[in-house]
Amino acid sequence: SRIQPPEKPLKSEEWNRLRENFQSPEVFEEVMLNSMIKSNSPIDVAKSLLTQVAQSNGDIAYNLLVKYLALCVQQGQTAEIQEMYDIMKIRFKTLESGAYSLLIKGLSNSDQWKMALSLLEEVKKIMIPSRTNYESCIKAAGRHQEMSLAFELYHDMLSKDLMPTLDILKALFDFSRGMKDAELQKELFGILLHLRENQIYPHKTFMRSIKLWFESIPGGNWRGHLTNIKDSGQCPVCSHQLEDSDLTEEEYNNLRERIIKDVIHGTDTFRKTSPQEFEAFQTFVENRLPFDIVIDGLNVSHIKLKKMQCENLFDAVNYLAKGKTRVLVLGRKHMLSNSSNWRREIMKEMQSKADFFFAENISEDDAFLLYATLQSGKHCKFVTRDFLRDHKACLTDSLTRHLFRKWQRGHQIVFSPSEGGKPIKFLPAFRYDCVVQTTGDTWHIPYKDIFEEKYSYQVPRKWLCIQRK
Amino acid sequence: SEKIDLDAWKKVMKSGLQEEVSETVSEPKELSALAAAREIVEMWRLAGRSVPENMSDEQLKTFIECPSKSAKKKYLKYLHLKELYKKNDKRKMEEKRERKLVAQEQASETSKTKNTSFVCLWASSMDRAYNWRAAQSMVFGQPLVFDMSYENDMSVREVANTVRQLVLSESSNRRSVDPFHIHFCNLKDDSLYHKEFVKHYREAWDKLLVTVTDQCYTQIFPKDKLIYLTADSPKVMKTFDHDKVYIIGSMVDKSIKTGVSLARAKRLGLETAALPLEKYLLWNSGAKNLTLDQMMHILLTLKDTGDWKKALEFVPKRKYCGFVSRP
Repeated sequence: SRIQPPEKPLKSEEWNRLRENFQSPEVFEEVMLNSMIKSNSPIDVAKSLLTQVAQSNGDIAYNLLVKYLALCVQQGQTAEIQEMYDIMKIRFKTLESGAYSLLIKGLSNSDQWKMALSLLEEVKKIMIPSRTNYESCIKAAGRHQEMSLAFELYHDMLSKDLMPTLDILKALFDFSRGMKDAELQKELFGILLHLRENQIYPHKTFMRSIKLWFESIPGGNWRGHLTNIKDSGQCPVCSHQLEDSDLTEEEYNNLRERIIKDVIHGTDTFRKTSPQEFEAFQTFVENRLPFDIVIDGLNVSHIKLKKMQCENLFDAVNYLAKGKTRVLVLGRKHMLSNSSNWRREIMKEMQSKADFFFAENISEDDAFLLYATLQSGKHCKFVTRDFLRDHKACLTDSLTRHLFRKWQRGHQIVFSPSEGGKPIKFLPAFRYDCVVQTTGDTWHIPYKDIFEEKYSYQVPRKWLCIQRK
Repeated sequence: SEKIDLDAWKKVMKSGLQEEVSETVSEPKELSALAAAREIVEMWRLAGRSVPENMSDEQLKTFIECPSKSAKKKYLKYLHLKELYKKNDKRKMEEKRERKLVAQEQASETSKTKNTSFVCLWASSMDRAYNWRAAQSMVFGQPLVFDMSYENDMSVREVANTVRQLVLSESSNRRSVDPFHIHFCNLKDDSLYHKEFVKHYREAWDKLLVTVTDQCYTQIFPKDKLIYLTADSPKVMKTFDHDKVYIIGSMVDKSIKTGVSLARAKRLGLETAALPLEKYLLWNSGAKNLTLDQMMHILLTLKDTGDWKKALEFVPKRKYCGFVSRP
């Protein structure tokens, strides 16, 4: 049972009557103000309530003031917001983050936006401002064409380890449209490189802002086109060949070492395997190197639920082990037990086409998968439907996590979804790297169709190609 | 009708301040970090957030050292709830005291001596009986090991929770008909576990009828007698074996760390087992790891009756929706 706020200001007696009829009078004002915010009541109504409180108590509690402030911000009552700041400042030595955020938000949208900036400075004295605090200020600066100020704030938040929202980045592009300023251009290229380094993909509307900015640079002669990149990695618009997803020698070795250290051994080798087993696996791999494809047998055996598990695996091995391709299948010991899902004769036949390693039933074969693939060299790919997210999470530093993702994009073979009785198919690993990239005269920017990014492993297939004519 | 002065409240708010402002002038300009933090917390309290009313300097320091905003919020909420529970307990105690006084007054009015052949010495005589049983278990009882080697896998609060659960386990063991002989193995003298134990038991810690040792269980018992109980074990326990020594890892993991205790058992080459939760219970939700006192209740019941259904009654009800009709 929500209470309906009155439409017109009430006198003290009238408020008192309402209060007495309310089930829990001690929170009456709070509930009433909340409901005023919800139904966006005229501020005069709220004022009359505050007057009643002040007259009967001689004071108004902080939380009520903040709620009234929220109502003022909601309605863009700039003068009132400023007065609230004065009142609160005299009453309290310091304010808390909720009130500051409201004040910054309210003032940044008004002609008093510079006051929002000084409030941001005030917040910094007691805590790290939030991303939305910065967002309000950056957008205010941008709206008033003070781009160097906007970028100063942007760098300030980066220095505090606050990841700017895509909204902030988009605003910076939007407000810079049509400006001819070399310094500004450098800053915006910097944002694109920030997207590259952090493997962030802009969404469609953000991409459009980027395109419009490029095309608006006076005398820049930039043209943008939307396109799909071919499997070969060539851009159909400008025929530019995209960067490949190979890691450098140093990056590759670094990644391999980290995987062995963080993922396989971690805090305790016994958690995922045992030292004896891992050693046995290492010897096994060293004696048979290099492989071209490493398959997570158990994972692949579940592709089609209607089929026997060993048949699924058999199909995959037949599909992948063609010609001279050397395939390694990782499994668990229980696969050898001749059960209804694992028929001995089929297992025998598979073992003539590929190498098999069977781990203990309680060991984690994913760790082995990564090890065998990385040990085989840069050309080697791996097959699993697993997204390997928990392994990525084991990696201790963000740089290695990025390397891991880059390597994963270029080396993981996934199934193409096929219906009904059709045989299984695999999508080849990407030959090019799906990341923002530039040659100076061209920019290629992958983007997502929708704003929400559900899975970090999902790589966009659509691109914005920008070139200088 | 008369007109309402809508800005009357502003005058009230602005009027009372002069004195306050003059008060603040004399204060030192630079606030210490602690005072500043205290002020922020106070403002949050005024804003209606879950924040304790009183905080010690030590708690404020912990608050300042929290690595992130969300950690700070969580810590304050924890203190807030703790404060609430304490206040409630205090209130209840006072109510009880009052009721007692009233009852005593009434009793003295009707003063009547009861005829009974026992002297009323319940608590202490029960204690003596329990201790006698526990002492017997020290000689004849089946050993039960708590592995105290997980300190490095836990946060300070998790260690505190662990010890609280162990205290509960020890007390329900002491009160049972046929107690286990409890061994706290791998327990170092200068460890956090030890400090927490002393905090709970005080002088009684040295008189506790349990075996405390810094040795590993593998040094005390033959390896083939040991079974490590862990929810991650691939083997499911079928029956309770009176000749085995069961080991329970003394660990509370709030952020579920899979395979830590299984790894320990694997390293020492010990047999492992998990409770047959899925065989007997229609599992609803929640992790399969149980608290240490729940484990103690389950094992005590199994030892006495061998009845899985009765034993698994101690699994919290929210975690399962019923018993399997024919396991």
